[in-house]
Amino acid sequence: MTNVSAGAKSMTIGETVLWPLFAVLAFLCLIGAGFAHDAPFAFHASLGCAASIAAAFAILNRYYDRPAKLPPQEINGRPNYNMGPIKFASVAAMFWGIAGFAVGLIIASQLAWPALNLDLPWTTFGRLRPLHTSAVIFAFGGNVLIATSFYVVQKTCRTRLAGDLAPWFVVLGYNFFILIAGTGYLLGVTQSKEYAEPEWYADLWLTIVWVTYLLVFLMTLVKRKEPHIFVANWFYLAFIVTIAVLHLGNNPALPVSVFGSKSYIAWGGVQDAMFQWWYGHNAVGFFLTAGFLAIMYYFIPKRAERPIYSYRLSIIHFWALIFLYIWAGPHHLHYTALPDWAQTLGMTFSIMLWMPSWGGMINGLMTLSGAWDKLRTDPVLRMLVVSVAFYGMSTFEGPMMAIKVVNSLSHYTDWTIGHVHSGALGWVGFVSFGALYCLVPWAWNRNGLYSLKLVNWHFWIATIGIVLYISAMWVSGILQGLMWRAYTSLGFLEYSFIETVEAMHPFYIIRAAGGALFLIGALIMAFNLWMTVRAGEAEEARAAGRLQPAE
Amino acid sequence: MKAIVSVDNLVSQFVLNFWTPIFVGIFLAIVFHALRPRNKAPFDAAAKMPLRED
Repeated sequence: MTNVSAGAKSMTIGETVLWPLFAVLAFLCLIGAGFAHDAPFAFHASLGCAASIAAAFAILNRYYDRPAKLPPQEINGRPNYNMGPIKFASVAAMFWGIAGFAVGLIIASQLAWPALNLDLPWTTFGRLRPLHTSAVIFAFGGNVLIATSFYVVQKTCRTRLAGDLAPWFVVLGYNFFILIAGTGYLLGVTQSKEYAEPEWYADLWLTIVWVTYLLVFLMTLVKRKEPHIFVANWFYLAFIVTIAVLHLGNNPALPVSVFGSKSYIAWGGVQDAMFQWWYGHNAVGFFLTAGFLAIMYYFIPKRAERPIYSYRLSIIHFWALIFLYIWAGPHHLHYTALPDWAQTLGMTFSIMLWMPSWGGMINGLMTLSGAWDKLRTDPVLRMLVVSVAFYGMSTFEGPMMAIKVVNSLSHYTDWTIGHVHSGALGWVGFVSFGALYCLVPWAWNRNGLYSLKLVNWHFWIATIGIVLYISAMWVSGILQGLMWRAYTSLGFLEYSFIETVEAMHPFYIIRAAGGALFLIGALIMAFNLWMTVRAGEAEEARAAGRLQPAE
Repeated sequence: MKAIVSVDNLVSQFVLNFWTPIFVGIFLAIVFHALRPRNKAPFDAAAKMPLRED
């Protein structure tokens, strides 16, 4: 960001524009809180007011504290990377991850023991469930993606992140969106669209933040020192652009009042359902897949110290995924009012997705060629590689479940939940953990992690947790599906609905146990990362480094 | 009164009728670009990008 005037200390354009903008926003939020039609809107407007005042104050305070010159782009000919926003997003990812896993454990326990709903509106399953999904996908996953994308784009472009305040606006603004969305769910604010529950004002705020994210990423690419744009950046860019398009497509809503939280979506009936699952499936495809594949293509080669197995395959992987994924959404609406041809289209494109998915998986795994031995000694690399194996498994299972006859058994059952969690815990969770285990020592300039033993404990506890979770849900889901379709010899349904619920009870307990193990693993990780930042590499590791094996 | 045949109509009709072969064509061009022997060396160099130190 350039200075408004040269010479003495002066505000950047960003500082000049942003602090009065936040001051105005604070005033508008105050008016919103005063005229609010409902209590949650008043609460959110008050939060917006407080956050805007804090932002205006922080910008002014930073201006008075900072030297006249902004941080240089290069120091001694080397890029002066901007690590501040990356550090913040990494810490936020860990915080939201633990919060999201904990809420997941609570709602899993509620399904096994309904008394845990506590008969309070704020703690019911219906409100906590979107809190869980948004916390793990958007808060945990989103912060991991922002942190890693900002790191990877800088390193592979050999240039400092574009913008001065803009990267901070992205990170802080995104986390403020999470706060508004999460507290909204607890207070009953929702537009009832899966993975797109936040109401109109949160959606508008996210749009501003996301466009800034796109601009920061694009401008960093524009000022790159490397002629080639590394494949991971293509995946990140596809993730950012597509999420923007999906967000705008699925959320055109008309508020009942500008002083109220309730709005009505522009789409109606089956068109709304189609938009919703075009959004929903591509949130999986471009948020939970493309973004995390970018992590795979940078962090696995880096950690294994091996080049990407086939860069050519990575290009074909990218474009095949981009061309195919966007059409797969209708498989969420099999046997509904959606026209049959659209359902078949969704099924067909889902099956075709097998090829790019497995091509990418093979590329990720084969990157370890010549370095397989590292799996024995490096639990971080093991975590990254197992995540790719889970990616392969869940992207095999997904297309299979999209086949209409399979879907007639699996849809609306726990099989779907098992499938989602093999992808979410095994693929997204593990690749994120692996990336954070790499990123934290790099960003804080530490030699290594505090303890690899603790990573090993995390890996095994979480893996056992995932296996318990997904196998319980597979058994429960298929049991559920078969019980629903069982008929007696006289043509009556063999089981009442409540009998199927009763049959699932033991599996719900196993699922909750699996979730508890996953949460314990994340707590171990948080401690390990905290100690890495505080103390750096543990003495045991340093001692091991000094004692070279006799060969 | 709208023209029945215009350049705009022809282009949009062409895209509407032939979008599948157009997209397949674009994809095949990308595959050709990725697999072209003369691109092997720069792609092999790009595969090592994460390993480069400043």
